[in-house]
Amino acid sequence: MTSLPPNDRPSVDAVLERTLKENDIPPRPLIIDRISAAMRQDEPNLKHVGQLISADVSLAAGLIKTANSPYFGLQNRARSVHEALMMLGLDVTSRAVAAISLRRAFPDSGHYERFWDASARIAALSGWLAQRVQKPKLRPDDAYTFGLFRDCGIVIMLRRFPAYRQTLARANQSADYPFTGIEQQDFPTDHTMLGCLLAQNWWLPEEICLAIRHHHDQLAIDLFESGLPLASRYLVAVSQTAEHILQHLTGASQTMEWEKLGASCRRLLNLDEADLAELYAEAAILLGTIDPRNRSCFLGHSTQRRREIALRRGKARKQLHPTGEGGRRLSLAEHSLRPSIFPPCLCVELLFLG
Amino acid sequence: MINRPIPSPGTSNPALDPITGFLNRNAGLQAAARAVIEANSGGSMLAALWLDMDRFRQINDSFGHAGGDSVIVRVAGRLRAAIEAPCELLRMGSDEFVVLLPRFDRVGAERIARRLLVDIEMPMPIDDILIRPSASIGIALCQVDDDPLSLLERADRAMIEAKRQGGNRLVISGEEPVAGRFGVQLAREELAIENALHAALESGGLELEFQPVIRPDGSVEAVEALMRCNALGLQIAPEKFIPVAEKTGLIVRLGEWSLLRGAHCAASLREQGCATKVSINVSRAQLTSPSFMQALHGALICANVAPELIELELTESLFMDLSATVQANLRGAAEAGVGLAIDDFGTGYSCLANLKDLPATKLKFDRAFTGVLPADQRAFAIVRAMTLLARDLGMVVVAEGVENPEQLAACEAAGVDATQGFFNACPMSEAALLQWMKSREQK
Repeated sequence: MTSLPPNDRPSVDAVLERTLKENDIPPRPLIIDRISAAMRQDEPNLKHVGQLISADVSLAAGLIKTANSPYFGLQNRARSVHEALMMLGLDVTSRAVAAISLRRAFPDSGHYERFWDASARIAALSGWLAQRVQKPKLRPDDAYTFGLFRDCGIVIMLRRFPAYRQTLARANQSADYPFTGIEQQDFPTDHTMLGCLLAQNWWLPEEICLAIRHHHDQLAIDLFESGLPLASRYLVAVSQTAEHILQHLTGASQTMEWEKLGASCRRLLNLDEADLAELYAEAAILLGTIDPRNRSCFLGHSTQRRREIALRRGKARKQLHPTGEGGRRLSLAEHSLRPSIFPPCLCVELLFLG
Repeated sequence: MINRPIPSPGTSNPALDPITGFLNRNAGLQAAARAVIEANSGGSMLAALWLDMDRFRQINDSFGHAGGDSVIVRVAGRLRAAIEAPCELLRMGSDEFVVLLPRFDRVGAERIARRLLVDIEMPMPIDDILIRPSASIGIALCQVDDDPLSLLERADRAMIEAKRQGGNRLVISGEEPVAGRFGVQLAREELAIENALHAALESGGLELEFQPVIRPDGSVEAVEALMRCNALGLQIAPEKFIPVAEKTGLIVRLGEWSLLRGAHCAASLREQGCATKVSINVSRAQLTSPSFMQALHGALICANVAPELIELELTESLFMDLSATVQANLRGAAEAGVGLAIDDFGTGYSCLANLKDLPATKLKFDRAFTGVLPADQRAFAIVRAMTLLARDLGMVVVAEGVENPEQLAACEAAGVDATQGFFNACPMSEAALLQWMKSREQK
């Protein structure tokens, strides 16, 4: 699928030499080691884990917000780290801690502000979408974590190789050649491999690691025989769809991935044009809520607003299926009237991460 | 029914198989039904052994059906002679027997089955040729409210599993290997290890320990990274988890994990002013993957470490089949500047052509040589000669498994460049290694 790299690559040695003294990405945040050590005890001490997290104020705040985010569908709201821990369980907590720690783990994150913002939006939309499409073995919290980690390899490549910026631009613009193939023309590895290695080193679940490794790999998503677990394929499909929706709505950060992988993703998630149109409409409102001008109004009168959304979506569907054939899944629109779909906490979280 | 005398061949009872004198299939099924009812009503135990001759078709093909029948007759005789306890003997098909053992538990049934395997295996003359028949046995134990057919079916399935494992063995129903996560057949113990490995990969249960390789002048030549696994409350030794990881393919993930972890260690040693080469074990499965070079470069880039600080340790078994992909990966690694060490040299698939063709930079003698030094002069001669040869090939020579001062002296006398073993230093955590290296610097 990829051509052999040419000989005129930048010398890995030379670049590594240059960056030796730089303040570098830590192997793994200390907090992850501490929490996993506590989790491996025969009887994990929740109080101890809670103390570890509470010692870091922004981590604690992040965890509480995560517990209250819609992906977990929890009835109660957590008000303290301890409550969040009790609600999420140790397993999910450790992933949430990894997700919160990711951006902070990269020094000079400011240089890549827009990149992280986009990641956070894709992650949030992925989590929402995972809940919307309801596939077996597809966990919204995993979709969210995956969305955050999916492209972290790009930041590592950018830190190591300034010339990677041009490669990235070419890979983003290529409508027919695989993204990673273009990276491999210029470099001895690609961002999916780096991301997968990092995720493994951070003890993320196998489905997420494999999804990171293959998120530009059309054959792996398409072919059942590819050996890629179904959960990983769903994760890839959900995040690519989320990215597409984001780009469709904002027009920003255009890539050609949807041209290459869109059909595969839609097949896997069983989405037709009408479904997509519905998702655009829902996501537009979701994203609109993080526009400062709209923030308060969404938080204020949600039920009224949700009804509007449902009506608007119904209209969109009717336009696409005037014969009424599209009525097949109209229940989705009604479904969204249920308060669990757009809880205000999602928009709070988008703000927090963005 | 249990105490009924065992019928002998030759009787004209229609319930009996004329060749063996065992109950025939129909009568056998009825007997099984009676035995199960009796066990269920009396709350007693019942074990069923399903026995099938291995390679019986071959015997039939070679000696004709008369020959085959005579084997069956004699095997039946051995069965009858081997079991002293009251039992029912059934002939279910041409070379298939069932033994019903009332009031037998798992241990008792297993004991009988082992005895049968031994007795059946005794040499047996047919037409002046001595054959060694063997059988596969499946054992099923009657459960509460069991029905006879399902009992026999379980025994049969266990027998099929015994056959699948190569025959001449017994398998107890319910303890057959089951499919692991990747659909690979695993024994129960292996399955537990596979689960622990998955858990370790998702909960931080993997760690690397480092054992220094030391030159005669006391300087550190390299440190070898050794993987440790601790998950689900189990501390699993590498001898146990590495084979399971290889079987299931998990070794690729473990290998990639240790590439990055080892590279991180090399980076942190360098930052602490103790730059040392870190030797990381890579498996055959990793090297057969076309994406190995991407993983290797990925680890170097992620950890920000120069390739000169990394060395890959290749076990000798890798060389039994050097595919084009493996060779390309090894060449690629060498071209990138990563060292290649041949581990455990001299006992398995040693081949001088490999030394000639591979871009290896280091040769590590198997501990089998070191262990017999200095007493074994022949071992000493081999180590000395191979050291000269390897040096001419531009390789560094390391002796593994040095455990006492005499072995160390002999290795140094043979001219090896460095030694590794408990006598020098045990494997230790990264933090302990750092401390160890700092304390040596001060001396």
